[in-house]
Amino acid sequence: MKQRKFLKTATPYLFIMPWIIGFLVFTIGPLILSLIMSFFDWPLTTAPTFRGLGNYIDMFTKDKQFWKSLIISLKYAAIFVPLNMIIALFLAMLITQPVKGVKVFRTIFYIPAVISGVAVSIIWGWILNGDYGVLNYLLSLLGIKGPKWLVDPAWALLAVIIASAFGVGTMMLIFYTDIKNIPVDVYEAASIDGAGPARKFFSITLPIITPTILFNLITSIISSFQQVTLVMLLTGGGPLKSTYFYGLFTYNNAFKHHKLGYASANAWVMFIIILLLTAVVFKSSSAWVFYETEAKNSGAKKTKKKKGGRK
Amino acid sequence: MKMSKKSKIVIYILLGLVAIYFLAPFIYMLFSAFKTEGEAIAYPPKLLPSEWHFENFINAWKSQPFGTYLWNSILVTVLTTVGQVLSCSLVAYGFARFNFKGKNILFMILLSTMMIPWDVTMIPQYMEFNLFGWINTLKPLIVPAWFGSAYYVFLMRQFLMGIPKDFEEAARIDGANQFQIYWKIFMPIMKPSLILVGVLNMLTVWNDYLGPLIFLQDRSKYTLALGLASFKGVHSTQIIPMLCITIIMIIPPIIIFIIAQKYIVEGTSGSIK
Amino acid sequence: MKRKIAVMCVLALTGTMMLTACGNKKDSNDGKTSDGKTAIRFATWDVADDVDAQQKLVDKFNEEHDDIEVTLEAYGSDFDTKISAGMGSGDTPDVMYMWNYPAYADGLEPLDEYIDKEGDDYKNDFYSTLWNYNSLDGTTYGIPVGFTTHSLFYNKDLFAQAGVEEPTDDWTWSDLQAAAKTIEEKTGQKGFAFQMKPDPYDFEMYLWSNGTAYCDEDGQMAGQIDSKESQEVFKMFQDMEKDGYAIATEKNGTDEFRAGTAAMYVYGSWSIASLNEDGMNYGVAKIPSFDGKTSVSILSSSGLSISKDSKNKDAAWEFVKYWTGEECNKARIGMELPVLNSVVESEGIMDEPEYAPFYEMLEQSDGHTPASFLIEDWSEISENLSLSFEQIFNPSSYMDVKDVLKEAADAQ
Repeated sequence: MKQRKFLKTATPYLFIMPWIIGFLVFTIGPLILSLIMSFFDWPLTTAPTFRGLGNYIDMFTKDKQFWKSLIISLKYAAIFVPLNMIIALFLAMLITQPVKGVKVFRTIFYIPAVISGVAVSIIWGWILNGDYGVLNYLLSLLGIKGPKWLVDPAWALLAVIIASAFGVGTMMLIFYTDIKNIPVDVYEAASIDGAGPARKFFSITLPIITPTILFNLITSIISSFQQVTLVMLLTGGGPLKSTYFYGLFTYNNAFKHHKLGYASANAWVMFIIILLLTAVVFKSSSAWVFYETEAKNSGAKKTKKKKGGRK
Repeated sequence: MKMSKKSKIVIYILLGLVAIYFLAPFIYMLFSAFKTEGEAIAYPPKLLPSEWHFENFINAWKSQPFGTYLWNSILVTVLTTVGQVLSCSLVAYGFARFNFKGKNILFMILLSTMMIPWDVTMIPQYMEFNLFGWINTLKPLIVPAWFGSAYYVFLMRQFLMGIPKDFEEAARIDGANQFQIYWKIFMPIMKPSLILVGVLNMLTVWNDYLGPLIFLQDRSKYTLALGLASFKGVHSTQIIPMLCITIIMIIPPIIIFIIAQKYIVEGTSGSIK
Repeated sequence: MKRKIAVMCVLALTGTMMLTACGNKKDSNDGKTSDGKTAIRFATWDVADDVDAQQKLVDKFNEEHDDIEVTLEAYGSDFDTKISAGMGSGDTPDVMYMWNYPAYADGLEPLDEYIDKEGDDYKNDFYSTLWNYNSLDGTTYGIPVGFTTHSLFYNKDLFAQAGVEEPTDDWTWSDLQAAAKTIEEKTGQKGFAFQMKPDPYDFEMYLWSNGTAYCDEDGQMAGQIDSKESQEVFKMFQDMEKDGYAIATEKNGTDEFRAGTAAMYVYGSWSIASLNEDGMNYGVAKIPSFDGKTSVSILSSSGLSISKDSKNKDAAWEFVKYWTGEECNKARIGMELPVLNSVVESEGIMDEPEYAPFYEMLEQSDGHTPASFLIEDWSEISENLSLSFEQIFNPSSYMDVKDVLKEAADAQ
């Protein structure tokens, strides 16, 4: 009997055991070491020397670029995250429509996400070149003088957002999978009630996919703060450092300036910021994310509370 | 579901417009791959090559041992995908379908492992793999994938939490233990999300080049993505071969996606109610 | 049943692949290969075709040496990331290409003793200017492999079309401006292209040519970078762009030159191969001078260094000697400008019109030390300078030269 009880408590842990082992073996060591390194001066070519909170103090008081990059990344995240999610959801809805040939479109929409980043950035460089780019050439045929996308700071962030929206396919696919797996009879019931497509979307589809919305929201917040590759290859952080994202700032500190200790401090500050944002999103999620599994739980909780009187 | 003719037309127009946005750069890239390098950068730009240089693809493929790279890429992609799908479904099931002590804190830790950029954990990780003697092997790229990555665990957990609670209770009454429930009941209905994780992972690994760059050394171990990146030099980039290899590299993921599409939809029949 | 078979198949396949992936043993850590040879790792930054050619040279070395096995590792534009990661984790390749000595010197083996052992003739065969670029504070860290100076590339067709005489070696910048203006008027293409965001390391050559520099010998920038001469240089480039006959390019200008949208640009020998491949009708001349002064070029040099952590330094040196010797210098012609006097002579390089200007620029560029060797924390200073220059040349800002340079000097 005892053995059985033990087995029951141990079962969940057995399920998550692979991750726990992986975390202990592969992840936690490097994580802690990078935290330790953030208190050191580490020029890579020689041994690290301890400097206490020096890296953090420098970052907040001396390094103007830290604040600038932080603001650029916040701005990017504020535009990119909602925009990308709306586009992804829109496309996902579009490719679930029961029309002929939709399969082909589904594949077409996914192609950009498949293309490797290095080539994508070269192509975008050709397209967006201010003087000799394809886009401005086409605009000039229409009699419009296009902006210097990658030279004018006012346009560069937009150019990066346009180029990164190209990779929306992944998120689209996640939404698509979720929407496709909503049982048909749920909609059928609604159709009988006379609900239109808009009502169906807002009162059936949207609530059901809130768990994946939460997932996409959190992961895209994280990835927008960590965006490095695209800006490194497309704009190099320019023009006039207007796309010098926080991720690029950290990367350059580590590998260009060989200040690995400082870069680690950059990374951990970013970690705290993302963690806080995520925590806020998670806190709020109980109000707007609906889990089937919790439907019962919350009901149970409520009754419990009643029993327990006020607290 | 029936649809009026009008709404069908609207849908086709929307599909068409988005397709143009997505396809235009790709088509431009595709045609450029057949040009000479001089023509590719010519101004004003032309869409079609004046002469179709099909040999560009052959030359590009031969310029590096891409056959070897392809095999390495396949190895890494297949092995990580099997590992991710198995381990992530287990872990996600644990987080989604049970209540246990420390669950929330463990889940938060899991999420937070995504939040530290790789730049700063990479060197400690390198040291660790060096200690294991894994540098210049494919192991650092493959083995960690068998222990569940936070991204996919989170994704699958979200799907699993959408399945009503009473679903497994019926099975439990039948006397099945938790693992049987997981394997026999949940695996089949999770198929769409398993496929999704597989497709996403395949794509990420197939195109990843930072990992291979750091952990691999000699060219017999390189993956396609790393070979592709090495067309880009400090002072000059070999654009045409790079485009050719990029296009070749798109083919396998697209084929897999086309096949996978079918199975992603199939899940609907697994009447979740 | 069908499902079971499918699962079995997947498992079997996975198992076999696992064995292949993880079965092959690593050439262990102690610097020996499995068959007892000394293993040397050799990292290059070159790409595709060049790597193939290098692989052949490496193979040849391995054939000639029973006891050493060199493996070539090619990292392209990610070379720095890889070497940084290697040094940070104490697992650097034994032999590597190198140019940025100030950033990496602490991780490199000083080579003076090795060079001395080879005797004076060995050292003297290299162009002497090159040694300056491969050492730091009097210690040599690399053996020259290749170099390039910068020269003026011009499009002969556009010059003919505009009826302008081609550049000569005694051109001044005013000659260039006059020619560029005419070309722009007659052909509608830009007369001259320069980088909007030049690498500060490269751009210093114009300051040298006008009798100044970024900093003094102690690395102090005030009074140098904001000097009158320095301002003249920046003003000249800015004016050319403002007047419309020159263009500041988003990348290095090679694309514009190849496309025929710019008639002249200053660049290293890196683009020769692709220009020849295009079949372009172009010429190369020395960089124009500022009135009455000698024009000077920056040197981009590549050397071969040995890692401080290498366990087999003698074998590594054996390979370095081979790689920098006559045979390899000859074999690399077309990829790299030879650095040995003897090879330049015996191969008649000076008779080749597209190569000769680079050597002439080399000869007249002696006696300058780039700021990167003088200023501490150059990589950060360089990043700031790069922004300053862009502020001057970017048409959406066009900031005042004097203000920007003053601010740059004060910021140090």
